[in-house]
Amino acid sequence: MPDDRELLDTGASAQLLGDRFPGMAAMDEHVVAMQSEKLDSDDVLLKRPFGFLFWFALVWIAIVFLAAIFANLLPLQNPNFQNYSALSQGPSSAHLLGTDDLGRDLLARLIFGARVSLIVGFFGVGIGLIVGGTAGLISGYKGGRLDVALNAGSFIILAFPAIVAVIAIVTFWGQSLVHITIILGVATIPLMFRVIRASSLSFAQRDFVVAAKTMGATDTRIVLREIFPNVIPVTVTFSLITVAGIIVIEGTLAFLGLSVNLPTPSWGNLINEGTANNALSTDPYIMLWPAMSMFLLLWSINLIGDRLRQRFDIREGLL
Amino acid sequence: MSKYLVRRVLQLIVVSFVISVLAFLLVHLLPGDPSTIILGPNNTAANRATLLEQLGLNDPLWQQYLTWLGAVFHGNLGTSYLNHESVTHILATGAPVDLELIIISQTIAFSVAVPLALLVSRRPNRPLDNVATTSTFGMLALPPFVVAPILVAIFAVGLGWFPATGYVPFTQNPATNIHDMILPSVAITAGSIAVYFRLLRSDLISTLQQDFITMARSKGLSGRRIMWRHAFRPSSFSLLAAAGINIGALIAGTFVVELLFAIPGIGYSLVLAVNQRDYLVVQGIALVVAIAYVTIQFIIDFIFTIVDPRVVRE
Amino acid sequence: MTKSNDMSRRTFLSRGAVAGGAVVLAGAAGSALAGCSSDSTSSSTTAASGSKPGVGTGTPAQGGSLTVGNMADIDGFYPPNNHFDTNGYNIALTIYDTLCGVAADGSTQPNLCESITPNSTFDGWTMKLRSGIKFNDGSDLTAAVIVANYQALNASLLTGQALTQIASVTATDSMTVQYKLTAPNPGFPNGLTTQVGMVFGQAMIDAVKGGNARPTPVGTGPFIFESWQPNDHFTATRNPSYWRKGLPYLDKITFKPIPDTVQREATLKTGGVDMLVSTDPLTIKRFSDKPDYQVVDTLTGVIGEPSVAFIMLNTVVPPTDDIRIRQALAKGLDQATVQKIFGAGYGEPLDGIFLPDSPYYKKTSYPTFDPAGAKKLVAQYKAEHGTPKLELITITDPRLAQVVQIIQQMWNQVGFEVTISQIQQANLVSNFVSGKFQAATSYQFGNVTPDLNYVWWSTTTAKPVGQIALNFARNVDPIIEENMLTARHTADTATRTKAYQTVNEQLAKDLPYLWLQQYLFSAVAVSRVQNFANPTLPSGAPAYAFNEGIFSSTAIWLSK
Repeated sequence: MPDDRELLDTGASAQLLGDRFPGMAAMDEHVVAMQSEKLDSDDVLLKRPFGFLFWFALVWIAIVFLAAIFANLLPLQNPNFQNYSALSQGPSSAHLLGTDDLGRDLLARLIFGARVSLIVGFFGVGIGLIVGGTAGLISGYKGGRLDVALNAGSFIILAFPAIVAVIAIVTFWGQSLVHITIILGVATIPLMFRVIRASSLSFAQRDFVVAAKTMGATDTRIVLREIFPNVIPVTVTFSLITVAGIIVIEGTLAFLGLSVNLPTPSWGNLINEGTANNALSTDPYIMLWPAMSMFLLLWSINLIGDRLRQRFDIREGLL
Repeated sequence: MSKYLVRRVLQLIVVSFVISVLAFLLVHLLPGDPSTIILGPNNTAANRATLLEQLGLNDPLWQQYLTWLGAVFHGNLGTSYLNHESVTHILATGAPVDLELIIISQTIAFSVAVPLALLVSRRPNRPLDNVATTSTFGMLALPPFVVAPILVAIFAVGLGWFPATGYVPFTQNPATNIHDMILPSVAITAGSIAVYFRLLRSDLISTLQQDFITMARSKGLSGRRIMWRHAFRPSSFSLLAAAGINIGALIAGTFVVELLFAIPGIGYSLVLAVNQRDYLVVQGIALVVAIAYVTIQFIIDFIFTIVDPRVVRE
Repeated sequence: MTKSNDMSRRTFLSRGAVAGGAVVLAGAAGSALAGCSSDSTSSSTTAASGSKPGVGTGTPAQGGSLTVGNMADIDGFYPPNNHFDTNGYNIALTIYDTLCGVAADGSTQPNLCESITPNSTFDGWTMKLRSGIKFNDGSDLTAAVIVANYQALNASLLTGQALTQIASVTATDSMTVQYKLTAPNPGFPNGLTTQVGMVFGQAMIDAVKGGNARPTPVGTGPFIFESWQPNDHFTATRNPSYWRKGLPYLDKITFKPIPDTVQREATLKTGGVDMLVSTDPLTIKRFSDKPDYQVVDTLTGVIGEPSVAFIMLNTVVPPTDDIRIRQALAKGLDQATVQKIFGAGYGEPLDGIFLPDSPYYKKTSYPTFDPAGAKKLVAQYKAEHGTPKLELITITDPRLAQVVQIIQQMWNQVGFEVTISQIQQANLVSNFVSGKFQAATSYQFGNVTPDLNYVWWSTTTAKPVGQIALNFARNVDPIIEENMLTARHTADTATRTKAYQTVNEQLAKDLPYLWLQQYLFSAVAVSRVQNFANPTLPSGAPAYAFNEGIFSSTAIWLSK
C-alpha cells in the first residue's frame, strides 16, 4: 500500500501539484500550513446552519438507539412468538408491520433486531478502533521496525480469504452475538490500522510535530496532543462507514448460517429471511422494513458525520 | 527502484508463506476430516484408518505441511479428495470467471461513481448531491444476496433480458459470456459504487476548496479542465487505494454470487472445499488468492510510484 | 433403489433445496444385496398415454437436446469411488446401465442382464448376460467384465461394505456369472438395481489401476459421456449403438447443477433449463397449477418406503437417553403445523416409515400430538434432573431453518429449553457418525425395501459415543435386529410383512426418530419434454417411474 502521506492526506495532493507547477510551491506551503490549523473563517462556503436533513437524521438515529436499548420496556409483542394462524400477513392493526413466514410480529423483530445489529456494528468497530486504531496511531508516528512488522501483519490479515476464516472460527466457537461481534471486530482491525496509520503518518511529518519534538516533548505527549486530535476526523468518518459495512456483512453471514443463533432477530438475518424461499416475490414487505431501517440508519449516520466535519474542520479528510 | 522491487517481492513471499501456514492450520484444526464425507455409509473404523493412511493424513501436521509445500514448489498443488480434480485445474477454470466478475463489476462501479462524483462535488449538498448520496447509501444497504434475486426477478424472469443462472466460457462465445455475466456483476457492484463515490466526492470537495484551484480559475482555466486535471488527479489516489482493498476483498469473496447464479468460480470451490475438509483444495486456493491479492496491491502501489516518484520511500 | 444421498458432499450447498438438507444416507450400498423383490405397493405412473404429467403423448420424435437443472453436482463417474445421491444417479444412469431394474409393480427384473435365477436355497444366483452388447469404447460386455466390476467394487473402501454378503463371483462361461452368497437372500437382485449394479468397462478399471483417478467413463448406457466441467455442466450424447433398439430419442442431454432452489426455478422459467429436480415442497406448489409445466412428485407412486424427514434423537446421551424425554418431544411436536409450513400442505402425518398404501403399513403406537401429556412427562423429568436442555442442530438451509424454529417453539412450550445451531453439512454428518449430538434434522430411509436400511438400525452398527457408528441414533434394539434379519432371509411374504411391521412398531416405541413428514422429491418440466416419468424395462414392462427424484432419460423425447 502506498503508505506515505499521499494516501489520506489531501493536503499532500496540493504539495504534489506544487511540484508540477513551479512557482506555486510557495503558495503550496502556505496552503498546507493553513490546513494544519482550524480556520473557521475560511470555511465560508460550507458554513451554514445544520438544516432540516441533519435534524431528521439525528432524530432517526436517536429513535433507533432508544428503541433498541429500551426494547423490553416498549409495548411490543414477543419477537420470537410464532402465530401459526397469522402467517405472512401484511400490515394490519394487530401487526403494524405485518408478520413473517412463521407468523412473528415484524415490528417487534425489527426493534429487537436493531439491538443485535447496533451491537455488532458499533462494538465491532469499537474493537477495530481500540486495537487497530491505537496500533495505527502509534505505528504511523513512530515508524521503524514496529511499523514494518505491523504493516506486514495487517497485510496478511487482509490477504487471507475472509470467508474461510469465518467459517472455521464459527465452526470452532459456535454461533453467538458475542462471537460474531468479536469476529467482525477483529476483521476491521487491519482496516482501521491502515487508515489511521496513514493519517498519523502524514501528520507525523508536519512542521508542528517536528517543532514539538525539538522542543523536547515526549512521544506520548506528541501522539496524544498533536497527532491524535488531527486524526479524529478521518477516523470518525471511516469508522462510520465501517459500521455500515459490518451491519451489512452480518446479513451475508446470516445467509451462510454463520451469524447469531436462530431465532434471534438482527437486521441482517431479517433481510435474509425476507429474501429466502422466494419471499421476495410473495411477501416483499418482510425484507423491506429491515432494509429501509438499515438504509436510513446508514444514511443518517453518515450525514451527521458529514455535516459535523464540514462545520468543525476544513479538511474533509478521506470520507 | 530495484531495491523497491526487491522489497516488494520479499513481501510477497513472506505474506504468501504465512498465509499458507495459516490456511493449512485453520483447515486441519477443523473438527472432522474428509473421511466422513468420502466413506459415507461405508464409514467404519477400519476403513477410515485405511483411507487416512492413503491420503497421508496420519502424518504429523508439520510433515504434511512440508510435503505439500514441497509439492507446490514443483508446481503440484494436489488434487481434490472428493472429485479428484487437480487444484491447478480448479484454479485455471475458476479464476478467469472471478476475474471477469471483478473486471466487469469494477468497470461498472468506476463508470458510475467517477462521473457522479465529479458532477456533484462542485456543488455539495445541493439536490443532485443529496440524491446521489442517498442512492449510493441505498446500494450500500443492499447486500448481494438481496440484490441478486431482485435483479433476476425483474430482468431475467420478468423482462427476459438476461439468463437467471449459468456461465458460458469466454473462449466459447465472448458475447454470450459477457452478456450472461452482467447480472452477477451488477449484484456485487453496489457496495463498490457507494464506497468509490463517497471517497472521490469527499476528496474532490476538499481539493476544490484549496487555493490552487482558485488560482487556476483565476488563470482562466475552464471548469472541466480544472476538475479533470487539477482536482481529479490528486483525488484519485485514495480512490485507487480503496480500489485495491476492495478488489482484494472481492477475490474469493464472490461466493454468494457464484452460488446464486451457479457460476463455477473459485469462491464457491473454496467454500465447498472448507466444508468438505478438502484440505489440498483449500490450501491451494488460499495460497493463490493471497498471492493474487499481494500482486494487485503491488500493481497499485506501482501505479502510485509512476504518478509520483516521491512515493517510493521506505 | 438405494442411493447415498447426502453423505454425498455436494448437496449441502443446495439452498432451499434441503437436498443436502439432512443426512441422506439411504441404505446405499450398505448391507444391501438383501431384501426381497416384491415389496411394492401402488402401481406408479404406468399408463401409456393420456395427459398425465411425465407420460408422453403421441409418437416419439427423434432428436433434440434436453437440459436438466440438478440440485448439486456429481463427484465422479467411477462407481467404486463415489456415492451417488439423487443427482449422481440421474447423471450416472445416462451413461451406465444397472444389471437389474425395478418394475412398476415393485418387483426386481433383469435390465442389462438377461436373467438372474436363484438356486433352491437362495444362496447361489446365476446371471445370464445379453449377447451382443458393447461398451461405448467398443469392448464386449462379457462375464469377465462383470467379475472385474465386482472385484473393483469389493476392493474399494467406499463400496466394499455393500458386497459383504457375496462370497464369490465367477464367470462360468463368457456370458454367465455365478454369484455365491454367504447366506440365503431371496432379495439379492435388489442390490443390483443400485450403484453397485452399474456396469462399467474394463478400460476404466485399468485406467484407475494405472493411477488415473478420473478415468473417462466407459458404459453401456443410452448416452455417451461427452464432457464434465465440475459445478458447471455435464453433457452426454446419444449412443447410436445402444442395445435397446430405437432408444434413446434424445440426441444430447445436459445437467446443470443449480444449488439455490429459487434460482433453479427461475432458470426453468427463463428457459435456461427444460426440466428441474427439487426437494422443496414449495416447488410442487409453485408449479402445480401452471398449465405450461408438468409436475411429477413422490406424493404418489412410491415403491417401498419413501424418504422421510425426521428429527433424530441420540438415545444414549442425556436428556434424550430418557424415554420419557423422547416421548415428550414426540408428543410436543405437531406434525400438522410442520407440514403446513415446511410441506406447503403436502404430506400426511406419519406414524412410521411406511405410507398408508404400503403392504407393510400397520398403525403404530407412535405418539400423537398431545402437549398436555408432554408437559406432564417433562415435569416428571424436571423434578428429578432439572429443566431438560436440548440443542437442536441443522444445516444452513432456509427451509430447515423454518422447521427448527417451529419445533423449538413447540418444545419450549411444553417445558424444554431448546437452542438452535446451524452447522456445516460435513460437521453434521461427522457429529452423527461420532454420536456428538442430541437432536438433529435429517432425512433418510427411502428405499424399495426396508432391508436396505438395515445398517442404520442394526444393533451391530451401534457404537458408543466417540466411535464411528452408522446407527447414528445408537438405538440398540434386539427386536429390531432380529426382525430385520428374519425378513431378509425369509422368502415368505407373510413372515416378512409381520417382521417389518414389528420393526416399525419398535421404532415407534423406541423413538429414535421423530417423524416430520414425507421428504418430497419433484421434477418439473416444460410441456415439450415428453415421457420423463414413464420408463420401461427391456421386457416392455413399465419400470419404477420416479424413484425418489431419480428419473430415466432413456425414454424421453421432445415434442416440436
